Amino acid sequence: MQTTASPSLPAAQQAASARTPGPIRHYGRYLYLAINIAILVFLLAPIAIVVVFALNPTPFIQFPPVGVSLRWFEKFFASRDFMHALGFSLEVAVLTTLSATVLGASAALALARGNLPGTRLIVATMLSPLMLPAILTGLALFQTYVLLDVGRPTWGLVAGHTLVTLPYVVRTTLAVLHNFDTRLEEAARNLGASPLRTFFEVTLPLIKPGVLAGAIFAFIVSFDQFPVSLFLVSPGNETLPVTLFNYLKFDLDGTIGAASVVSIVLAFVVVIGLDRTVGLRSYVKL
Amino acid sequence: MMKALGSSRLSRRRFLTASASLGIGTIAAPYVARADDPTLRITGWGGKWGEIMKAEIGPAFESEFKCKLQTDSAFPYLPKLQASSRSAPIYDVLHTNSNEQWAAAEMGLVEPKIDPKLVPNLADVYPYAVSHKIVGVSIFTSAIGLGMRTDKGYGNITSWKELWDAKYNGVRGGYVIPVNSLGQAFLMMCGTLFGKGQTDLDAAYTALEKLKPIKIVDFTGAMEKMLLSGEVGLCVIHDSGIYRYDGQNQPTDFVSPSEGVLSLEQVLTITPGSKMKELANAYVNYMLRPEVQKRLAETVWYSPANKKVKLDAKYDAKLLTTPEKVSKLIQVDWKWYNERKDEIDQRVNRIFRA
Repeated sequence: MQTTASPSLPAAQQAASARTPGPIRHYGRYLYLAINIAILVFLLAPIAIVVVFALNPTPFIQFPPVGVSLRWFEKFFASRDFMHALGFSLEVAVLTTLSATVLGASAALALARGNLPGTRLIVATMLSPLMLPAILTGLALFQTYVLLDVGRPTWGLVAGHTLVTLPYVVRTTLAVLHNFDTRLEEAARNLGASPLRTFFEVTLPLIKPGVLAGAIFAFIVSFDQFPVSLFLVSPGNETLPVTLFNYLKFDLDGTIGAASVVSIVLAFVVVIGLDRTVGLRSYVKL
Repeated sequence: MMKALGSSRLSRRRFLTASASLGIGTIAAPYVARADDPTLRITGWGGKWGEIMKAEIGPAFESEFKCKLQTDSAFPYLPKLQASSRSAPIYDVLHTNSNEQWAAAEMGLVEPKIDPKLVPNLADVYPYAVSHKIVGVSIFTSAIGLGMRTDKGYGNITSWKELWDAKYNGVRGGYVIPVNSLGQAFLMMCGTLFGKGQTDLDAAYTALEKLKPIKIVDFTGAMEKMLLSGEVGLCVIHDSGIYRYDGQNQPTDFVSPSEGVLSLEQVLTITPGSKMKELANAYVNYMLRPEVQKRLAETVWYSPANKKVKLDAKYDAKLLTTPEKVSKLIQVDWKWYNERKDEIDQRVNRIFRA
């Protein structure tokens, strides 16, 4: 049935296309382009405004800008607080990415293969941090740490970030596992490969796109994470978003713009770095 | 020789023991190191305040009292204090504005008063700093008045009521009242200006209705920038938000309205469950020392609470440094306000949503 139905679909499309008058097709194409351009402008306009704010020498947002200056970048890079926050944010994001990726990918494998009872419930529970406002997750974790009398350690912050980034890795890995052909693993096992070798040489390369996509999400979500960090950062160890929030309460100058530009550049660097090191483009269509 | 080498060979058990010890040591090191010096946990602002506290005032305190000062400058302080145990609070000293201090006091999270016997410098503060409208002690205050552009030909502004003049439509600035202390204090001022007093909420709501159109912001820092950019021509603001640009040739000025200025107090309180009471009192006393007050006042343009502070002429001319100037301060009854905050928030949200 399928073999006969498939060729008929393009034929139907061709027939429909033939029925559509030329000018309408033309306008439709323009409309399509216009909508796409509007979406791109909508997505990129905030970034453009941030860049203008960062490069404008005046201590307030002014349009059109009166000049180009790097004074806010100088202030940002000269500030010990900002530099410490940037380094700390990167450290937390890297640790979070590692823990969320290992835990999330393992959990997804167990859920897809383990024949566990109540799988749907477990998946829903694992995705629940996405449903809960992150600020409540932060507050709840803060109270838990207080009850355990552990203070606000860095591992506690990483655990909090892992909690909110884990669903991304679970979801993206599960999506890949959904279409996974288990016969490939069986073939490897039949050819004498050990379970460990089968995992590293067959399973992992095949689920890599999902795991990597999840890892990228985890890094970016952790690096930009504000609501959870708000309650879990300890004095002297604030992440960049928290430092920026505290800063803008008192000084709303271009330093905020400069910090935002640095964050955007860093996100690009991470994606490009992953592309260069693990060939991201061949796995994930960005 | 061979035997000696052999006996010192690393066995698996020895390796695991050493690794575990090293791991535990690494994790525990900060706690062990912290245990040596008593640590006073406080809250504090960011910006210039945070910079000078970190660079000068804090280290000087640590060195004199042989302790460690751990400052949390990440908001929000009150929910964190609320979430921590009463017997082992997350802070020993809470530094925040008066409205939040009252909320903390109502919940029993901070001690309502500071003992003058334990804080001798309390004897030298202006009466407003320890008045019945203050929980703990106000170590500084800012004056909330009007900020204006001097390059727009507005003329001489002397009264709060000029903010309602139609010529400021489109360039009038105010705050999101539910989240901003200045906005809340201004609402009370509206009651005084157009009604029977601070608590005349109906008069205040009517006045706020008439204030539209108005540009409203969350943070005072945002208002400063809107005034600097000329997006706003006349706004509610605190004096330090204007004076901090002193010497930068900005076309802005602070107006102390004839009806008086509202006080925006920087208040210190001590938590009842603090295990560092002695050090906490020492810190409050230290922050009230004339030399500490002078240094901070001249850095962040806050009016010092200690009467004995002698500021340099430039600061003395603008800040509230004499009993006459201080008498212009209008303190808000935050206890009364906090009890009605939900109702007020709902009403002002309705007013400004429209």
